[in-house]
Amino acid sequence: MVKLEYLKKEYEKTRQMPGKWPLSSYRYKFNITHFQPFLKALKEKRLIGLKCRSCNTVSFPPKLVCGKCLVQPDQWVALRDTGMVATFTANYMKDETTGELQSFPVIAIQQDGADTTFLTQLNPAVKFEDVYVGMPVKVKWKNQPEGNLGDIEYYDVIDDATKKMKLQNE
Amino acid sequence: MSKQQAAIVSAGFCEHASKRSDVNMAEMANEAIQDCLNNANIEMDAVDAIVMGNMPAFEGANLPELWMTDWVGARDKPLIRVTTGGTTGGSVAIAGYYHVAAGLPGIETVLAVAFEQQSCGNTSVGLSSVALGEISIVNALGLPAESAMRIFGAGAAIGIASYQAINYMKRSGCTEEDLARVVVQNRRNAAKNWWTHLKMPDYTIEQVMATPYVSYPLRFGMVTPASDGACAVLFTREEIAKDTVDIPAYVNGVSSVANETGIVGYAAAGAGQLDPCEQLGAVESAKLAYSQAGISFPEKEIDYAEVYSPFPNQELMWLERLGLFKENTAHLRYRDGTTAPNGELPVNCSGGVNSTNAIGASGLERVAEAALQIMGKAENQVPKTVHTSIGHGWGGCINFVTLTVLSDQPRRK
Amino acid sequence: MNKVGIVGYYQVPPALDHNMGRYELIFQAVRGALDNVGLKHKDVTSVVSATNDYYDGRTISNCFTVEAGGGYMKDETKVEMDGAFAVHYGMLRALTGHHKLVLVWGGSMSSCYPYSSSTLLSTDPTFERPLELINDMTAGAFQMRAYMNHFNVSAEDIAQVAVKNRRNATSNELALPESQLPAATTEMILKADVLSSPVTELMYSHPCDGAACIILAPEQQALKIRDDPVWITGVGYSQEAYYLGDRDLTQSQSMKNAAQMAYKMAGVKDPKKETDVAEVFEHFAHEEMIFSEALGFCKPGEGASLSTEIGGELPINPSGGAMSGNTPCATGMIRLIEAAKQIHGDASEHQVKDVHRVVASGQIGLCAQNNILFVLERGGRK
Repeated sequence: MVKLEYLKKEYEKTRQMPGKWPLSSYRYKFNITHFQPFLKALKEKRLIGLKCRSCNTVSFPPKLVCGKCLVQPDQWVALRDTGMVATFTANYMKDETTGELQSFPVIAIQQDGADTTFLTQLNPAVKFEDVYVGMPVKVKWKNQPEGNLGDIEYYDVIDDATKKMKLQNE
Repeated sequence: MSKQQAAIVSAGFCEHASKRSDVNMAEMANEAIQDCLNNANIEMDAVDAIVMGNMPAFEGANLPELWMTDWVGARDKPLIRVTTGGTTGGSVAIAGYYHVAAGLPGIETVLAVAFEQQSCGNTSVGLSSVALGEISIVNALGLPAESAMRIFGAGAAIGIASYQAINYMKRSGCTEEDLARVVVQNRRNAAKNWWTHLKMPDYTIEQVMATPYVSYPLRFGMVTPASDGACAVLFTREEIAKDTVDIPAYVNGVSSVANETGIVGYAAAGAGQLDPCEQLGAVESAKLAYSQAGISFPEKEIDYAEVYSPFPNQELMWLERLGLFKENTAHLRYRDGTTAPNGELPVNCSGGVNSTNAIGASGLERVAEAALQIMGKAENQVPKTVHTSIGHGWGGCINFVTLTVLSDQPRRK
Repeated sequence: MNKVGIVGYYQVPPALDHNMGRYELIFQAVRGALDNVGLKHKDVTSVVSATNDYYDGRTISNCFTVEAGGGYMKDETKVEMDGAFAVHYGMLRALTGHHKLVLVWGGSMSSCYPYSSSTLLSTDPTFERPLELINDMTAGAFQMRAYMNHFNVSAEDIAQVAVKNRRNATSNELALPESQLPAATTEMILKADVLSSPVTELMYSHPCDGAACIILAPEQQALKIRDDPVWITGVGYSQEAYYLGDRDLTQSQSMKNAAQMAYKMAGVKDPKKETDVAEVFEHFAHEEMIFSEALGFCKPGEGASLSTEIGGELPINPSGGAMSGNTPCATGMIRLIEAAKQIHGDASEHQVKDVHRVVASGQIGLCAQNNILFVLERGGRK
């Protein structure tokens, strides 16, 4: 086992003062106008992205400003409800009742037809070990969408056609 | 106002530890400044201007440069403070360079100071508040707070590093042992420097692999510590530098190119980078800084590198993005010892950020160590002669990169 | 000799509570400045921003502003001070020749955060913060009383500055509507609610939402972009002691140092004669007087006798100064923009006649601990 003495060097203590940063008293503003069509589409179980007329980048979730061109994209395009895992990680959280450490896979997906990634949740039933980069996923909608971000319950795993092809080739 | 060649003539550190409870941040910064001035035999009077930096959220003090005036010797002197997250130290070094290089009359010698006393505050609060604004917006738009925290919580520094690690391992075929090897080299190097935090001269790959995962594939034994510490570097004009030290480290190239906010971020910004390993900002920064320094073949011309790598996979990634190794081969160079202190391209002989991480100061420490290797004054001096070295910094939401190119010769005009 | 020119600028109209998000505000400022001079985003090589983590309520406040602030794939950095300091850093970047076009922006939304508590967080954490006695308001009151006592200046004299600035603000279309008082009188200023005796509400420059952007270019480049860039011919800045007890509050040592440095650089010998307009960042009415003395426009204690209205001996703050809208992190930059407008003759109703040289200042800290002064001159081909 690693020895940890080097971490524990004791220094004399100087005077300590309490202090706090009242982050809860901030209110963050966000103009919902440019987001409205996206939320409306969610209610109809549709996904749309914003396309920049200048560089044709499709952002999903829609972005206010295209950083490449410094213009406001304003062209809405329809996207399919499938996507691909661009990268992933796990978040470890303690179960409040049992105190057990649980791992939740968190994925960044690239929606088919979009050029940016979207940070979201995976089906909780999927084991973290089974997730890989390039894994195809599909939106699992909430039963009664309300037109907000909660409408995408999570992303579900779908059959990986490339894997089948590889197997056939072998 | 005429352009000047800037050079580094001295660097100083304070002792780094997880809790420097014996000093406050002002006293800690002062220790580094004293060390820096003593090393060059220069008095504070000779300093014309000061550039400072830290990440203010970690200490819970807004505008600390104001009340720290007397500890950093800024009374009746020009001072500005730059801060850009993880790259703060690198940005401070770059600001120091610009102050000298711009050649304003009366500003010839500039002291760059960066510090961080993480034990003053709660580092995880500091880090999670990066995305707090985004989380609150997403929450207001209907994503339950719990899910939002879970998703964006995984986006904090370690989460981002594991995104990068997963993509890097997939790209290059590097194994977990390779990551452990990087850590071992760093910690052993750190043991040879007096000021570093995690000094582990006998660390082994097996020991690293025996520790549990913090966030797959990164294990507890691979993770950067949270340190308290400060660093100071003295920049001056060419002619003064020549009188002060035998071999000044000339600053020949600086850049800090920003990429789109990666991964974290929601509506108005962010989510721009598909592959967190791609690091276009680093590639662009390298191009810019190397062209300023007249370097065409970085893999051949650069003798020493200090890269900002809190996590081992990043060290591999940066070395490739900065053009020092071919794509997806960095881990092989660690296997064959190229990056060891006596190797062909020594990397992070200070122990790197993986062994010592006082966040705001880390970027400046990279520049300081890269300069000391050229000046021949580093604690863990490499046996070969270093003509050109680089000091690199990384921060923000994986989108900021700073790069400083140093040399024992002034820039070719 | 190399110099740097201001080639473009834009100020988003300030408001007490802007009905837009932070990124929109920044985008408006940056896009506006580029469009004003017909420049493209790809022409920009470096971006310097001025924001503050505590004012924005987040660590690394420039992290998410890369896209909206025009920083994508540009040499980007942030100065966590007043915008005028960011302009200074941007100028240094242009002077080295590495950058052909430097975009500097600053701003914040004070409607989103408790301004007073974030200024409290900037006091000495060991002695002052736990006591909660010193903040920007009480420090301003200390200074005003010390100044009045030492030089035998009356409260009416100081109120007169507020009257002038609030009247000037009326003719400035980019002034905060709430700050404009066309019929202001000294009595009105003195009878307003007391913030911290003797400072009343109307002597104080209220924080508001806003953003501003300035585009800088080195000499040759600037002349390619427009025929009449405004040259920065001198800059000086200095920080003085922190503890109020260590300082002589009746004067501004840091502004004196800054002025000395800037005048020397610009070759100004008699500032009163050689300066046509001054735009200073005055947090409180009395600061404008202290600054005018430090800038060498009059002898110490005689600030009240200088005629500073538009059309006077030496107009100070024809735009209304910081009192016309104090946007933390942008106020100093807005002073520079106003100065540039005066030189260009773009200042509409508050234009001063025949302006060749203007000084503009920015500040940060309790009782203006750190001051920066710019000397701007009319440009053009010789």
